[in-house]
Amino acid sequence: MPRHYQYQPSRELHVVVLGAGGVGKSCLTGKLTFPLHKRLFSIFLQKLTWKTAQFVHNEWIESYDPTIEDSYRTQLQVDGRQVVLEILDTAGTEQFVAMRDLYMKTGQGFLLVFSITSASSLSELAGLREEIIRIKDDENIPIVIVGNKADLEENRAVPRAKGFSISQRWGAPYYEASARTRTNVEEVFIDLCRQMLRRDDEQQAQADADDGYNYDSYGIWTTKITCDNKTNDLQQHGRASRSENHDDWTGD
Amino acid sequence: MLSSQSMRASLQVAPLSFAKIHDESTGDGSSTSDLDNNPYSQSHMTPPATPNGSQEDLSPQYLAPPAFHNFLRAFYPFNPSYAMSDTSVTLPLNEGDVILVHSIHTNGWADGTLLGSGARGWLPTNYCEAYEPDDMCNLLKALLNFWDLLRSTTVNDREIFGNQEFMKGIIAGVRFLLERTNCLNRESPFIQRNDVLRKCRKSLLSELSSLVKSAKRLQESQRPALSPVEDVNDIVDEMILKAFRIVTKGVRFVDVLDDDRRARAPASVTVMATVLEESYVPPTPPADQATFEDQTPRSVNDTDSQAAASVATSESSESTQTTMAIFNRRLSSLGSPTGPTTHRLSQASLVQAHRLSASISHRVSLAGPSPLSRAHHLVSERLNRTHDTFLSHLGSFIGRLHLQSQSRPELSSAIKQSALSGGELLAVVDGVYEHINSSSIVLAMARATMFERIQDLVFSARDTLANAESEEADVIMPQDNSILLNSATGCVRAAGDCVAKAKVAIERIGDFEFELESSSLGIDLSILDIAPEERARTPSVSEPSSNPSVIEESHRSSSGSSTLAPRRLTLTGVDKPLPEVPQDVTTPTEEQTPQNPSPASSRPSSAHDDNISSMASSISSLRPLLPPLPKLSTSLLPSEEYSPVDNHDNDFASTSRFDSMVASSAGSSATYLSRDSESSILSQSSTRATTPDHTLAPRNQPSMSELSTTDSSTHTEEVDDVESRLMEKTFAHELMFNKEGLVTGGSLQALVERLTTHESTPDAMFVSTFYLTFRLFCTPMRLAEALIERFDYVSESPHMTGPVRLRVYNAFKGWLESHWRDETDRDALGLIMPFSEIKLRSVLPSAGRRLLELAQRVSGEGSLVPRLVSSMGKTNTSIAQYVPADTPLPQPAVSSRQTNLLASFKSGTSSPTILDFEPVELARQLTIKQMNIFCSILPEELLGSQWMKKGGVSAPNVKAMSSLSTDLSNLVAETILQHPEIKKRAAVIKQWIKIAHQCLELHNYDGLMAIICSLNSSTISRLRKTWDAISAKRKEMLRTLQALVEPSQNNKVLRTRLHDHVPPCLPFLGMYLTDLTFVDIGNPATKQMALGNESEDDSSNGITVINFDKHTRTAKIIGELQRFQIPYRLVDIPDMQDWMAAQIKRVREGDQGNVQVSYYRKSLLLEPRETALRIPSEPQPTTSLGALQNASRTDLFAWMSRDRGNPTPTPTPTPTPAQV
Repeated sequence: MPRHYQYQPSRELHVVVLGAGGVGKSCLTGKLTFPLHKRLFSIFLQKLTWKTAQFVHNEWIESYDPTIEDSYRTQLQVDGRQVVLEILDTAGTEQFVAMRDLYMKTGQGFLLVFSITSASSLSELAGLREEIIRIKDDENIPIVIVGNKADLEENRAVPRAKGFSISQRWGAPYYEASARTRTNVEEVFIDLCRQMLRRDDEQQAQADADDGYNYDSYGIWTTKITCDNKTNDLQQHGRASRSENHDDWTGD
Repeated sequence: MLSSQSMRASLQVAPLSFAKIHDESTGDGSSTSDLDNNPYSQSHMTPPATPNGSQEDLSPQYLAPPAFHNFLRAFYPFNPSYAMSDTSVTLPLNEGDVILVHSIHTNGWADGTLLGSGARGWLPTNYCEAYEPDDMCNLLKALLNFWDLLRSTTVNDREIFGNQEFMKGIIAGVRFLLERTNCLNRESPFIQRNDVLRKCRKSLLSELSSLVKSAKRLQESQRPALSPVEDVNDIVDEMILKAFRIVTKGVRFVDVLDDDRRARAPASVTVMATVLEESYVPPTPPADQATFEDQTPRSVNDTDSQAAASVATSESSESTQTTMAIFNRRLSSLGSPTGPTTHRLSQASLVQAHRLSASISHRVSLAGPSPLSRAHHLVSERLNRTHDTFLSHLGSFIGRLHLQSQSRPELSSAIKQSALSGGELLAVVDGVYEHINSSSIVLAMARATMFERIQDLVFSARDTLANAESEEADVIMPQDNSILLNSATGCVRAAGDCVAKAKVAIERIGDFEFELESSSLGIDLSILDIAPEERARTPSVSEPSSNPSVIEESHRSSSGSSTLAPRRLTLTGVDKPLPEVPQDVTTPTEEQTPQNPSPASSRPSSAHDDNISSMASSISSLRPLLPPLPKLSTSLLPSEEYSPVDNHDNDFASTSRFDSMVASSAGSSATYLSRDSESSILSQSSTRATTPDHTLAPRNQPSMSELSTTDSSTHTEEVDDVESRLMEKTFAHELMFNKEGLVTGGSLQALVERLTTHESTPDAMFVSTFYLTFRLFCTPMRLAEALIERFDYVSESPHMTGPVRLRVYNAFKGWLESHWRDETDRDALGLIMPFSEIKLRSVLPSAGRRLLELAQRVSGEGSLVPRLVSSMGKTNTSIAQYVPADTPLPQPAVSSRQTNLLASFKSGTSSPTILDFEPVELARQLTIKQMNIFCSILPEELLGSQWMKKGGVSAPNVKAMSSLSTDLSNLVAETILQHPEIKKRAAVIKQWIKIAHQCLELHNYDGLMAIICSLNSSTISRLRKTWDAISAKRKEMLRTLQALVEPSQNNKVLRTRLHDHVPPCLPFLGMYLTDLTFVDIGNPATKQMALGNESEDDSSNGITVINFDKHTRTAKIIGELQRFQIPYRLVDIPDMQDWMAAQIKRVREGDQGNVQVSYYRKSLLLEPRETALRIPSEPQPTTSLGALQNASRTDLFAWMSRDRGNPTPTPTPTPTPAQV
C-alpha cells in the first residue's frame, strides 16, 4: 500500500446525484443511505446496551427522517478503505435550474441517473455532463452513468447498447440498477468512490512528485491496475461488461 | 411541577448502574482465562480453525437470544434475600411470576418489574422464560404502551391525561384476550362450566373497572387548578400498579383456561411404564462433561440432594406441567435454527439446545411419575420432545466433531443415536401427517428433506468409518469432520423446518393423543456397526419406576437407556463408555439446569469477578449496583426452598469448593460466607430502593394489599359497566403508537375511530394530518364509508353513542368546510348526502340538516372556503404568528430621481438599470414578489411529489416559485454579463452582493439563495479580472453569505437558522421539496402490524396498516413551511414591481435554449481563458480536489488552483456539445 493511505484512514468524498426528475434517482440515494443508516444504528444500539431496547418497539429505526444533518452521509468500504460519503441529492428541486451550479461545485464525483423507461431522461444527461465538465473545468471528473428502474424490463425505452455506447463516448462506466430491487445500488457508489480515490491518489502522487519528494510511485500504478480489474469485474456483475457492450454497439 | 417531573424520571431509571459492571466483567482478562486454559472447553465449543480469541467470538452468540422479550415468566422460585450481600435490588421470584423487562444485561440479569408486586429490580433471566402467549399478546403490548406513556416525562401530562385515549389499549387488550378465548360473553360455555374461570374473569374485569375509575379520577385532576400535581403522580403510580394487576389476573385467567382445556382433552390416563426412559437425560459427550465440570465446579453429592429436592417440587404436578409446556415451546424456538449462516452459529445454537434439552428432560423425568403426565402423550409434546432429543444428539455429535481425535466407535454410536432419534421424530411427524389425512404437501416435503438429510449423515458417516478402517486407524481424519459437520447441520435445519411445518399442521387440526410405536428409520444402521468388543458394557435396562424415591439411582443408571426399541438400548449403551465418574454425567446437567439459558452461566468466573468489584463499589455508593450473579447461591437457590437442611450442607460443601477455586480472591468468598450477618441489613435497605413508590416518594401510596382490598370491594355495577365496554366494537387494537403516544400507524377504521373519539377533543396535529393527507392512503369515498360505519357501529356502545355520532358529524363538517377538494372529493357527496338526509337526520335532526346544506353548497360551489392562502389548512395553528398589524411600515427607500426613472420607464422612454436603485428597496420589492407566490402555495401541492409530476400542473405555485428563483439567478448573470467594461461588471456584482445582503436582513433566504447561486456560478466566478476590481470588504460579505447557503451536511447552516425562526421569513423552498421527496420515498406506505405472537410469521398473523408516521412527517414539513406563509409588512411600489417584472420577462424571453451555456459563452468572450495561453509542458494532473476545496476558503473562487491545474488544453473556449 502506498504510504499515504495510512495518513488518510477515512476520507470524505462528495458525490452529487443528478438526473431528470422522476427517474427515481433519489431512490438510489435513499436506498444507499437509509438501510445503511438503519444497519449502523442497530449495530450501535446493540453495542451500547445489547438490545436494551428501552421499549423502543423498533419504531424510530423504521422511519426515515431526511431532515437531520447526516441523513445523506454514509460509510462505505471501497477496496478495503473506509470512506465517508456525503451525497448531495437535490431531489425535488430539479426545477431550480440555477441552483445546479452550486450543487455541482461541491461534488468530486457525479452520478448521472436516467430511467431506462424514458429516452428523454437519458438525453437530459448530456446537458448535465456538459455542465459538470464546464463547472468543474475538468474532462476527467469521475462520473458513473446509471440506468435506473432496471427491474422494469418490459417498459424499457433505452436499449442497453445505447447506454453502453454513451458510456464509451463519455469514458464513464455504465450500470443498470434498480432501487426497487436494490440491484447494483451499492456497486454504483463504490465504483464512483473508486474513481474518486484513484484520482485523489494520483493527485497526491503528483503533488508529492512536485514537491521533489523522492518515493516510489510504483505502488500507485499497481493499485491503479488492480482497481481497473476490479472495475471490470464489477461491471460484469453489473449485468454487462464492456466487451458485451462493444459487440452490441457494432452490431447496431 | 418540576420536582414531580424529576421524580417520575427517576422512577424510570433502572435502579442500578450498568456500565461499570459491564466494563468490569468484559474488561477483566481473567474472566475468560479459566475457560481458555481448558483445552476441552475450547475444542468443544469452537471450530478448530480459530482457536484463539474464539471465546470472544463465541460469547455473543451464546448471549444472543432469539429476541428481546418484554415479558418473562419465572419458572423457578428465586429467593435472593439470604444469599446476596449487596443485593438489594434483586427480586425474589415465585414460580409463575410475570415480569416486565426493561433491559437485559449481558450477564443475564434483567432489570424488570414484577407485575405481582410492582417491585423493580434485578432478576436472573435463566430462571425465567419468555412470556408471550398469543391470547395475551395484545394486553401485554398495551401494558407496554401504557407504561411508556405514563412513565414518560417527555409528554405533557395534560396532553395525555386530558382524554381517555391511553386507556383504550388496555381495554382493547382485555377484550382481545377474552375474545380469543371465547370468554367475551358471560354466557360463554367455558365460563359457565368452570367456576374458577368465571371467578378469574370476574376479578380481571373488576381490576379493569378499577383502573378505568382511576383514569377518570386522573382526568378530572387534570382540570385546571383542581388538585396539586403531586396527586397526579400518585394516581399515575396507582394506575400502573392496577394495570399490572390486570395483566396478572389475565395471566391467571389464561393459566386456568389452559388447565381447563387440558383437563377436558380426552385423555387416556395411561401412565407410561417407561416415563423415566422416555425423558432420559441425553448422553453428554465427554467434551461437554469437561466443560461443564470446569464451569460449575461443584460437589457431587450436591446433585443428589438437589434432585431429591426437585422431586419434591414436582409434587405440584400441575404447575410443573405448564412449565414443561412452556419449556418445550421455547426450546423449539431455540433449537430450530432459522437460518444459521455459519457453522459456528448453528453449532452454538445446537449446543445450547442440547444443554437446554438436557435440563428439560431432566425436569420432565422428575415430573414424570405424576398421574397427570398424560399430557406427555399429546402429539405436540411428543413432537417437541423428540425434536429436542434429536437436536441434543446432533448437538453432542457436533460437539464431538470439534474434538480433533474422534474415535470410530464413538462416532458410529453417535451417528446411530442421532439417526434413531431422528427416526423417532420422523415417526411423530408421520403420525401428524396421517392425522391430517396426508393433506399437507409442505409437511410431506419437509419430512422428505429431513429423511434425506439423515440419510446423508448416515452415509457420510459410513464412508468416514470405512476410510478409517482401511487406514487401520481408530481416529477420524479432521477433513472428514467438515463433511460430517455439514450433514449434521443439514439435519438440524431440516428437522427444524419439519417440526415447524408439523406444528402448523397441529395448530390447524388441534392437538391429539399420540402413542409412539417403536419406529424404524428405514436406513440400515447396521452399516455403522463395529467390532463387537466395543459393546462391552451394555447396561441393564433400568426398571421403569414411577416412584420418586428411586429416581436418583435409576436416573444415574438409566443415562444410557431409552424408551424405544431394545436395539436402541444396546446402542446407547455402547455410547456410554463414560471415562469420567458416572455421576458427573448428571452433575453438570443438573447443576446447569437453572442456569442453562443464561449467558452468565457460560462465564461463571466473570460473574464472580463482577461480584468482587461490585462488592467494593456497593459499599461506597448508596446507589445499588447491579448485583452480580453469584453462581453458587443462584444455582442452589431452588433447592434451598424445599430442603433447607440438605442444602445447607451442600451449600457449605460447594462454597468451600468455590473457595479453593478462587483462592486468590479470598476476600470475596469471605463475604459470601458472612452473608447472613451484615449483608442482610444491606439488602433490606436496598430492597426498598427497588420499589420506588416506597422509598423515593414517601407519600400516601396505597400498598398492593390495600389496593387489592379496595379492588375487591368494587361494585358489581362497575364490573358490569366495564363488561359492557368490553363488548363494544372497537378498532383500537389496530392502532400503533410511538413512545410519545403519537399515532404512527393504523387501519383506516382505527384512524377514523381516533378521529371521532368521544372522550376529548382529538389531538390537533392528528386531525390536521389526517385531513391533509387522507387522500394519499384512502379515497374520499372510503373515508365517507368509514365515517358512516363508525356512526353505525357505535350504537353498540350506548354510553358513548351520542358523543361519537356528534364527532362523526363534526368530522364530516370539518371536511366539507375547510378541507374539501372538489376535483377529488366530489364522488363522496354521493354517500354524504343520503347519510345526512336519512341516518344523521333521524338521530340529530339539526346536524343532519346542516350537513346536507353544506354538502349541497359544496356540490354547487366547489369549495366553501375561498382558498385564502395563509388561513387555509394550517397544519399547526398554534404556532402561527402574525406580524402585528401595528408594526410600522418601513419607509420606501426611493428617491425622487428614482421615482422619475420609474415613471419614465412606465412611459417607455427610458430603461433604468439595477444600479439605479437602492439595494434595500430592490430586496424589499423582490421579497414582496416572492412572498406573494410563496404564500399562495397550497398544502396539497406539496403532497406525493405533485410538483414533480406532469410538469407540475397540479402544483402551479411551487412551479412559479422555482421559476422565479431561476429567473432571478439568470437576471443576476445577465445584468453582469451585459457590460463589456470590467468596472461596470464589478459595479453590478457589488450591487447584487448588497441586494443579497439586504435579502438576508429581511430573512429572505429564497432570494439570497438565488442571487448567491448566480454569483457563485462558474459563469460569474471565473471573471477574475472583474473580481479583482471588487473590494475585499464586499468579497468578505459575499463569503459570509455563501456560507449560509452551503448545501453541505444537508443544508446544516440554513436548517439551523430556520429552526425556530420567527416570521416574517421566506425560507428556501427547495429544501422543503427535497425533504418531502425523501420522506415520500424513504418511508413505505404501509406497515405490518402483528396481532398475534410477534415472533411468528408476520404475514399470517398480522395486518397491514397505514403508515401514518409517514404522513405525520409529511404534514410536519408542510406545517413548517406554512409557518412562514405570512406576508411581510412592506410597502409595495407598483412601478418598481412592474419594472422588475419587465426585467424578468426580458431575461426569460432572451434565453432560448440553454441559458447557462449561452451565459458561459458570454463569460468566455468577456474574459477569455487565461490558461489557454499556457503551454502544457507535461501531462499535468487535474487540480487536487481537496486542494481546491481548501483553497476556496482562502481564495474565493479558487483561481489560483484552477490556473495551476487546468487539465486538458482545450483551445476552443466553446463547450463541446458535438461530443454527445
